[in-house]
Amino acid sequence: MAKATYPKEHMHRIKFTKLTREQIDRKLAPAAAGPKCMSEFSDVLGGKKLKIVTDSGPTVNYAFKDRNRLTVSVDGKASVESGYGALALERVVFFSHMVPKTQTGYNVFIDLDSNLVTVIEVWFSGYKDLREVQRQIYYGYVEVAAKEAPEERHHLTNRIEGKGFYWKQDTGIETLEFYPSIVSSSFVELTRLGGELTFCSPSDYIQINDHMFIYDRTECEFSGIMTLYVMDLLDARQVGMRLGFNEKDALEYYMFRGNGEILGQLAIFEPFDDHGEKIPLNMPGMDQKGARPVYRPFGDHPPMTAEELEEAVRKNTSIFPGGDAMAGNRMELSDYLVGKEFTVRYDDGPAWNYRFDDLKKLHWREDGETQWHEEVYEAFEPDKELIFFAHMHSGVKPYECVKIVLDFANGLTSCVHSQVGSKYMANEVSYKFIFGTIEMEGLTPPRYLRHTFTDELVGSALTWNYSDTLTSMHVYSTPHSYSWTIFMENGAMGMQWSSPSRYAMIRDGIYLFSWVEEACNGGQGTIIINTKIMHDCGFGFSGTKDGLRLSTMGAYARNAGVYDVKRFFGPE
Amino acid sequence: MSITKSLSGSGDNRKQPNTGRRSFIWKAGAAMSAVVASAATGFSKTGVDRADALKDANAVRTLHRTYESRLNKGMYEEVVGMFANNAEVVFNGGLFKGEKSIRRLYCEFFQAGQTGKKIEPAPGFEPDPEQPQDIVDVAADRKTATGQFPYSMQVGTPMTEDTSLVKMARLQGEGIVKWWEGGTHEVTCVKVGESWKIRRLEYRLVSKADYRPGRTHARAIDIPAFSKVYPADPAGPDKLV
Repeated sequence: MAKATYPKEHMHRIKFTKLTREQIDRKLAPAAAGPKCMSEFSDVLGGKKLKIVTDSGPTVNYAFKDRNRLTVSVDGKASVESGYGALALERVVFFSHMVPKTQTGYNVFIDLDSNLVTVIEVWFSGYKDLREVQRQIYYGYVEVAAKEAPEERHHLTNRIEGKGFYWKQDTGIETLEFYPSIVSSSFVELTRLGGELTFCSPSDYIQINDHMFIYDRTECEFSGIMTLYVMDLLDARQVGMRLGFNEKDALEYYMFRGNGEILGQLAIFEPFDDHGEKIPLNMPGMDQKGARPVYRPFGDHPPMTAEELEEAVRKNTSIFPGGDAMAGNRMELSDYLVGKEFTVRYDDGPAWNYRFDDLKKLHWREDGETQWHEEVYEAFEPDKELIFFAHMHSGVKPYECVKIVLDFANGLTSCVHSQVGSKYMANEVSYKFIFGTIEMEGLTPPRYLRHTFTDELVGSALTWNYSDTLTSMHVYSTPHSYSWTIFMENGAMGMQWSSPSRYAMIRDGIYLFSWVEEACNGGQGTIIINTKIMHDCGFGFSGTKDGLRLSTMGAYARNAGVYDVKRFFGPE
Repeated sequence: MSITKSLSGSGDNRKQPNTGRRSFIWKAGAAMSAVVASAATGFSKTGVDRADALKDANAVRTLHRTYESRLNKGMYEEVVGMFANNAEVVFNGGLFKGEKSIRRLYCEFFQAGQTGKKIEPAPGFEPDPEQPQDIVDVAADRKTATGQFPYSMQVGTPMTEDTSLVKMARLQGEGIVKWWEGGTHEVTCVKVGESWKIRRLEYRLVSKADYRPGRTHARAIDIPAFSKVYPADPAGPDKLV
């Protein structure tokens, strides 16, 4: 029997129910009793009364009857009794409760030493996808009689930007969590989803002191569930809360304790006098309650039907149109292939004859076919005697292209053979890697040696500077996925998303990497990464409302660090 | 206007300024010298009461400072409100005439590219420190005035590709190709009631460079002028000039 748990469909393929307000009311009713917890709740608050004053937010009066019941009064309104749970971590006590008969709750972090408080109000039905947990963060303090209010506050921070963790909750749930942004995070569900893919969520990072931080993420575009915890970096412990509706629309409202491990630290790129207390986003509406920067690709890129794709392609087909935003720092085109003739033969796959007429024109045919086909191509030479070129298979349906690596030094070839269309979306690229050899006069290819899949890059992070104004960071977080994060103008990391991907080893330090933005526009990127020169070259391939497009890309890399994650993957 | 194309291609060089490194100093200096002469003779010939003329000149200077300040803060709608009826703006080879067109220039073209932020001149393109900062000439009837003011600002145009990377960058207020340009604002103002409004504003470009604040170097760049009028270019001018 299989021990690992793999989902029938990954998160980005699940059609989460659009819950109604009434459904949420009903499903949320049990939350009034307070969260559940596998660990014992703390009774540190039992019998106490607290008045919490927040800046630009509510004043909240609490009376804690015992370790499970409290009464709460917000801004002087009538007191309401509710269940709650509290967990302590070092000097911080975290308690969570919902307000009965509402869709609102409060999560309160109190620093018992300083009396400083962070209150995170949460609510449902605040966005058009009503199940998505909304949040507003307030900073304040516990009012103490005859004592002046403290001037200090907890605050947003970039002090844990770049960190990566392994966490294991008292529920048995294990995750890898990465913070390569100050407004987002990525995570790998090792237990729930088998650890194959990385997903990204808008997040908040709040500093309590030099080693204790509050973190939250909300799985926007997916279930809308929020995970929220306070952590102590010194011994990698956490106490937290999870609230929302899972893929079965069942309420999850529980608190947890967890132990973990810091897996690494990526470089951060802000100026040294920037500690992340203010997020330099230039987005309208960010002063509204609950506002947060959320990338919502599903809304931007609704799946297309075959007919819509056909119509878009009829209007516009762009093969190497030039002027690509992701090609500002691309490599020079290579004329290495001009005048050459050879055959590429893939193991248990196709064999194609090639004849290269000039810098941009080639002829190809299936081995054994009499008719040659003319195509436009572009080629790069990312390493000595290593060529990477691409072209369409014009006239073929579904629309098809090949991205081919030619390793003349070793007689090897790899191909990423792609077509537009998958069982999920007419405009989603599907592809396969195929490996083989080059047959050419004067070249004897190896019998057994091949380029092959690799996990060498897994865990590492590289920034990719496509032009002076467009830079992203890749985190190669699992053997089958990665995330990318967009730099803000001050060097802080911003919006983030992820996709399934594959990696092949071409030579030492040279990798063939391809991804399809499945949870997005369905487009594909395929690049050769040369870590010797920290430069890549490659091709984008997509079918969108703007038509069919095969284009080039290229960027300069910087090393951003590495996470020690390989040991968490692979068949057991 | 596709900036990614324009930065790599030759583009439309119609009426392009000399974008050589030292040209800003030379050209701006020459232009200013001419204006100084005009202003100096203006007062003496007209016999306008000097105090009133100075008051008007200061009001025009304030108007221009307010214009630059609002652009700097991205208050594009408020900028539109500074123009008189049927006013004109000439920018990048295009004439925008009337409120609707001027709103299109500022609230669409400028806003999309976060254009108008006041930045220091690009290294190597600094204006001659001895040239006059601004010149104002008030008409004898004190109903109109002309002015010349050096400007140094950031210009941008958003990347338009449908890639996720560009969309994400745009979402967080970036994904904009930015450059520096400097030159002279040539302004005609008209008194409306007791206040001054801009009747005509022309961006007399002297230099453009691939500079953004924080960089230590810059090189001249060639950005094509508008090549289509509205509505073929949804943010374009009414007329090419």
